[in-house]
Amino acid sequence: MAGGLRYSDALLIVAISFVSAWLCEGISWLLIYRTASYKSLRSKIERTSKKLESMKSATPAAALAGSKKSKSKKMDRFETSLKDSSRDLSMSKFKSGAVVAVVLVVVFGLLSSLFEGKTVAKLPFSPVNLVQKMSHRGLPGDDPTDCSMVFFYFLCSVSIRSNLQKFLGFSPPRGAGNTGLFSIPQNKTK
Amino acid sequence: MCESKLHEVSNQKPHQISCFKHTLFLVTTADSDQLGDVLHWLRQATSVFCGVVCGAIPLTGAIWLLVFLVLSTGIVYGYYTLILKVDEEEFGGHGTLLQEGLFASVTLFLLAWILVYSLIHF
Repeated sequence: MAGGLRYSDALLIVAISFVSAWLCEGISWLLIYRTASYKSLRSKIERTSKKLESMKSATPAAALAGSKKSKSKKMDRFETSLKDSSRDLSMSKFKSGAVVAVVLVVVFGLLSSLFEGKTVAKLPFSPVNLVQKMSHRGLPGDDPTDCSMVFFYFLCSVSIRSNLQKFLGFSPPRGAGNTGLFSIPQNKTK
Repeated sequence: MCESKLHEVSNQKPHQISCFKHTLFLVTTADSDQLGDVLHWLRQATSVFCGVVCGAIPLTGAIWLLVFLVLSTGIVYGYYTLILKVDEEEFGGHGTLLQEGLFASVTLFLLAWILVYSLIHF
């Protein structure tokens, strides 16, 4: 290994990704996670999904002919409540999502200007064509194992940010899984 | 101490740092969230270890990504069936348990592998 590290830029990208992940989570905490409405929505989702799980795994002996209908109505009610709460949770994250997006765009722009046309790392494999479009983006030559900033930053931000959210306890509750911002509301009354 | 922290703040997820060591080996079958978190971190630890080893040797070729996937899935499966002996049906089935932290672990493995490989061998 001669002189310094040839691909030391990769370490800088990791460091910048780490700092920006912390910054994004800090912004999210400031705008959403510390608010009472978010906390109550989250605990409501957790409570409702636990109730649903226990109802779904209730023994067949408990489902008598008469109570079966009322039980399924109750489950429907819980499911509706879960979907509504999950949608509300997604909407509450919208505001901070916009700010976080701006931060990420700025960071990406900064990294692009610093590492445009530079190979920041070496891939230990030749990626498939679809991945190569990202991994070899803006790089001269046609060595498929040259890694561009875009691909490396993508790996950094996904792995670091998702684990940081998990570590800090900010990842979405499991019951909020498949519902999104644009799901149709089900007769919501307040 | 971890159990009391779980009940302390009703609206917040408990701090995981001090509970990590406890939850790794003392997961109760009653809490699917806790089990999911343990499996998530187990996958992440496996991905970092495998990535560093693959990068250091070095191992090249996309086949090692598949090997990692099979290995990490096997480790997670072995952990909850043989060590914890949980009934997977209570936690949403094998699919739910095996996909905990899967995508993050793949990206983390690739990151560690690429980084170590680039820094050590060039």
